[in-house]
Amino acid sequence: MKNLRLKSARAAKDLSQDDLAKLCGVSRQTISAIEKGDYNPTINLCIAICKALEKTLDELFWEV
Amino acid sequence: MNTNSARAVGVAVGILVGLVIAVLLVRFSNKNNQYKTDYDERQIKVRGDAYRYAFYTVVVIEVILFLLKLGEVFIPVHDSVLHLASVLIGCIVLCVYSIWKDAYWGINNNRKRYGIVMVVCGVLNLIPVIGAFADGSMVQDGVVTGPVINLMVCVMLLLIGFELLLKHIMEKHEEQPED
Repeated sequence: MKNLRLKSARAAKDLSQDDLAKLCGVSRQTISAIEKGDYNPTINLCIAICKALEKTLDELFWEV
Repeated sequence: MNTNSARAVGVAVGILVGLVIAVLLVRFSNKNNQYKTDYDERQIKVRGDAYRYAFYTVVVIEVILFLLKLGEVFIPVHDSVLHLASVLIGCIVLCVYSIWKDAYWGINNNRKRYGIVMVVCGVLNLIPVIGAFADGSMVQDGVVTGPVINLMVCVMLLLIGFELLLKHIMEKHEEQPED
């Protein structure tokens, strides 16, 4: 399932996939795969993404 | 020491020297001058799959070669070439799969420098191939010999280069269409 919340949070911060990838220490393709729903990140990467985007885990990754 | 033993020692020394050069080249090709290439968690997982497929490939080829040997089937290729060829095919599987799944380039790789290293490797491997074709030593007594491995390395590098180029083009099209 696509992670549109991550995509919009990134766009709101005016970050490209590459910028976010550098902030989290991963490749751009990994951010792209998470946004497309092709890859389930580990909790460590989720936390790194949340810190970079100043969001909580619930806001970006919790499915209601 | 007979000629075959001397040749084996020569090849072993050549491989060792090659390994040392490869380690130095990896350091030259990494942005942070580290020997180790860094991969992120998704890439590590993908590369694990790639190594598994490469391993299965080598096992299957080696079993086939073993059965052919057992059945005394004549293959017009020198034994040493056959086994090195199976290793090379394993390497091709590893590279092709990891390139396709975006796990070939590490986070700290300098792609341009790697490209230069690959081109240099290709040229270095092409020299013995041209030499063997020129003096007709590629096939001796109806059996394909050593330099065909260099030819296979060239083909492998070409294949990797082509796939990297293809992925680069695809990436350019895909890259952040929403931005």
